[in-house]
Amino acid sequence: MESLFLLIPLSVVLVLAIMAVFWWALYNGQYDNIEREGERILKDD
Amino acid sequence: MSNPTLIEQPGIAVVAPEQRAQAGGLAGLLGQHRGPLTVDDDFVVLDDPLEQEDFSHAIEVDGRALQESILMVQGMYCPACTETVESALAGRKGVVSVQVHAATRRVTLRWDPAQTLLSALARDVGQTGYRLLPMRQALSVEHRLAETRLLMWRLFVAAFCTMQVMMYSWPFYITEPGEIEPVYDQLLRMANWMLSVPVVMFSSMPFFQSAWRDLKLGRIGMDMPVSVGILVTFIASTGATFDPTGVWGHEIWFDSLTMFVFFLLGGRYLQSRLRDRTAGSLDALMNRLPEQCERQLADASFEIVSLKRLRVGDVLRVQAGQAFPGDATVLGESATVDEALLTGESQPVTRLRGQSVVAGSYNLAGSALVRIDKIGRDTRFGQIVSLMEQASTEKPDLVKLADRIAGPFLILVLLSAGFGAWYWWQIDPALAVPIAVAVLVATCPCALALSTPSAMLASAGALAQRGILVRRLLAFEALCKIDTVVFDKTGTLTQDRVVLREVIVRPGLEREQALRMAWPLASASLHPVSRAIAVQAQPLASNAPNPSDPGSAPVAEPVDLVQERPGSGLVLERAGGGQWRLGSADLCELDEAHLLEQGRSVADAPCAFLCDEHGWAATFVMDEGVRADAPAAVAELREMGFAVHLLSGDRLGAVQRVAQQLGIEQVVAGASPERKLEVVAALQQQGAQIAMVGDGMNDGPVLARAQVSFALGHGAPLTQSQSDFVVQSGRLSELVQTVRQARRTLRILKQNLCWAGGYNASMVPLAIAGYVPPWLAGLGMALSSFLVIGNAMRLSRLPGMPVPDPAAAAAALSVR
Repeated sequence: MESLFLLIPLSVVLVLAIMAVFWWALYNGQYDNIEREGERILKDD
Repeated sequence: MSNPTLIEQPGIAVVAPEQRAQAGGLAGLLGQHRGPLTVDDDFVVLDDPLEQEDFSHAIEVDGRALQESILMVQGMYCPACTETVESALAGRKGVVSVQVHAATRRVTLRWDPAQTLLSALARDVGQTGYRLLPMRQALSVEHRLAETRLLMWRLFVAAFCTMQVMMYSWPFYITEPGEIEPVYDQLLRMANWMLSVPVVMFSSMPFFQSAWRDLKLGRIGMDMPVSVGILVTFIASTGATFDPTGVWGHEIWFDSLTMFVFFLLGGRYLQSRLRDRTAGSLDALMNRLPEQCERQLADASFEIVSLKRLRVGDVLRVQAGQAFPGDATVLGESATVDEALLTGESQPVTRLRGQSVVAGSYNLAGSALVRIDKIGRDTRFGQIVSLMEQASTEKPDLVKLADRIAGPFLILVLLSAGFGAWYWWQIDPALAVPIAVAVLVATCPCALALSTPSAMLASAGALAQRGILVRRLLAFEALCKIDTVVFDKTGTLTQDRVVLREVIVRPGLEREQALRMAWPLASASLHPVSRAIAVQAQPLASNAPNPSDPGSAPVAEPVDLVQERPGSGLVLERAGGGQWRLGSADLCELDEAHLLEQGRSVADAPCAFLCDEHGWAATFVMDEGVRADAPAAVAELREMGFAVHLLSGDRLGAVQRVAQQLGIEQVVAGASPERKLEVVAALQQQGAQIAMVGDGMNDGPVLARAQVSFALGHGAPLTQSQSDFVVQSGRLSELVQTVRQARRTLRILKQNLCWAGGYNASMVPLAIAGYVPPWLAGLGMALSSFLVIGNAMRLSRLPGMPVPDPAAAAAALSVR
């Protein structure tokens, strides 16, 4: 059970790390236009 | 400004490359006519300081005065493209930094105006195959993008923390109190708290901000109960975490708190997506005009100028695939245009020399030479845009009422939450906080506030795509109560142009000869009657050239002189002496009654007379053709249970002929505007609810008097029109469509109100009684808002309407 003292803080850190990754993706414009990839097939060029 | 020479010489004359004129055939164009055709363009417009205001702003870095410009990159779809564009710009003289976003197809460029010109940079990019375009409203789009990102980031933080908080709460769910060793219990609580902090401090910020803003203004807004709920839960749970034996008790509600914020934010995110979509379609409409155009100079060459420098009277060349920048007159032989803007249907329409084209419609084939008649706000297009803006900001009375009662109502909510907390404190203190929070959240009338405007806007948007503009959102309600439809004849049931029905000729004269004689006269005038004759006479005239001058076109013949006498007709001075006249009986010095007796004229239709040196030669009998779709539309209206009336200022004979063709029994003819008003008022006194259908020009007072009014066709200037609905295509079938849509709108609106009202009414007692935990209240609120909006979105498609062409939609999107 003592491992919880390590694992729970670790899981908190992990959550924060995942959020940081998402932040990076978001502010690099990955989610700016979610529909665009679907529409691309309809375009000629 | 950095470049003073440009201010004096805004549109540096550059003749456009020749190949642009011949670019592509018609077939190729129809597929992709919404985008510019080539990249080897001239970019001088980018250097125009007037234009730069739209997409650039001055910044200062390390003491250097720089410009930051946001431009759209056309033709960029993948990360590899990003690199090409970036490397084309980076390292150029004067470029300080460059950032290309593949997803938004935008480039943010910092450059030194002292060292380079934007057009030079754009040309460099153009050589790599991409095109830099000035982004109109780039800054506002950028702003909206930043807002969306922030909201999404808040939502994600809430979502992820909620999931993890749930995990840490799981042990509490499955164990009895005291079963977990205190030290682990405390560890889990701390972890819960750790992850709740970002949710409260960051994700909940919009609620706090808006509540605080309202508070400073002395109001209580919708976000007030929510903010109080979040704060109360967080403070109580924090107290319980760090001082389990203290005044806050032992219970924590981090799971409820985070989930509740997540659901609320989720609802808000979906709402903003929906709103952006409407704003986006409005943007797409407004961005139809080109950024620049080619103006003809005195020496017949062309210069590229920005739209803002355009003046009335300028002669422009509009390339195939481009939109006309203003309402204009066709100077060339003819032009093929797409007026989907007005009619909702993308199909090629031919406009002949002298006819007009509207701003925002596309030139489909070849390059067209036009003279600008109107620009900016005066154009039909400008009026449509301002009308749309106006209608979408209008608040229906119901919403105004909701705004007014919201304040007292929300105070009531706070009080009842306080009461709930106090009551439960005495029974079970552990339940007081969650119940108070649940009441606060459950009573929030968000869905109620959304139900009406969302339905009406969605409906108006759908109609606008079809070319039907809604001036007053409330007219939907009135339209559903209508039982009588009153038509004005001219221009509504009949075509707004006349056609030649028959030609009565002098003995010894052929019909064709008469038409050939009339051609030089009729072709010189734009009067509807002249046009009707000219249309018939044109093929004859070109087959057999005028004997006096075989080579040239009859109009341009220098020796014959045609004079127009406004209001009566045309006079042609023959080169060889003598006079031909075309027009009213007076002009031809004829006695109309006498002609009638001889069977040389008719009483029930407008006539034009032609006379030559020998007197009367021919009578052209005109027919106001009944619109092709009128019989079906009238029949359908009657089938739907409407009484149909015909009200006209025209002669009885003509009106009756139209009424007979359409099967309308109630007819009033020869009515002056005052008489029309009387008739409508009399009908209303008998309890009739009237929809008046007119052309929007002559029927102002009557249109205003009727409960609902329609203006058909695009004759009248929109801004002056009194009508509630404007049917731009002039198709009568749209009338039926609009009535159906209004009925659907009202039905969905009622569903929305019922649902939202019922939801709030049933949730409050349940919450006070303690049956609704805060997270469920949050979920219920988000879901009911979403349901209301989703239901309203059903209105954004008209039934029986062809699904919009996805390729065209995508093409329209790609322009943005």
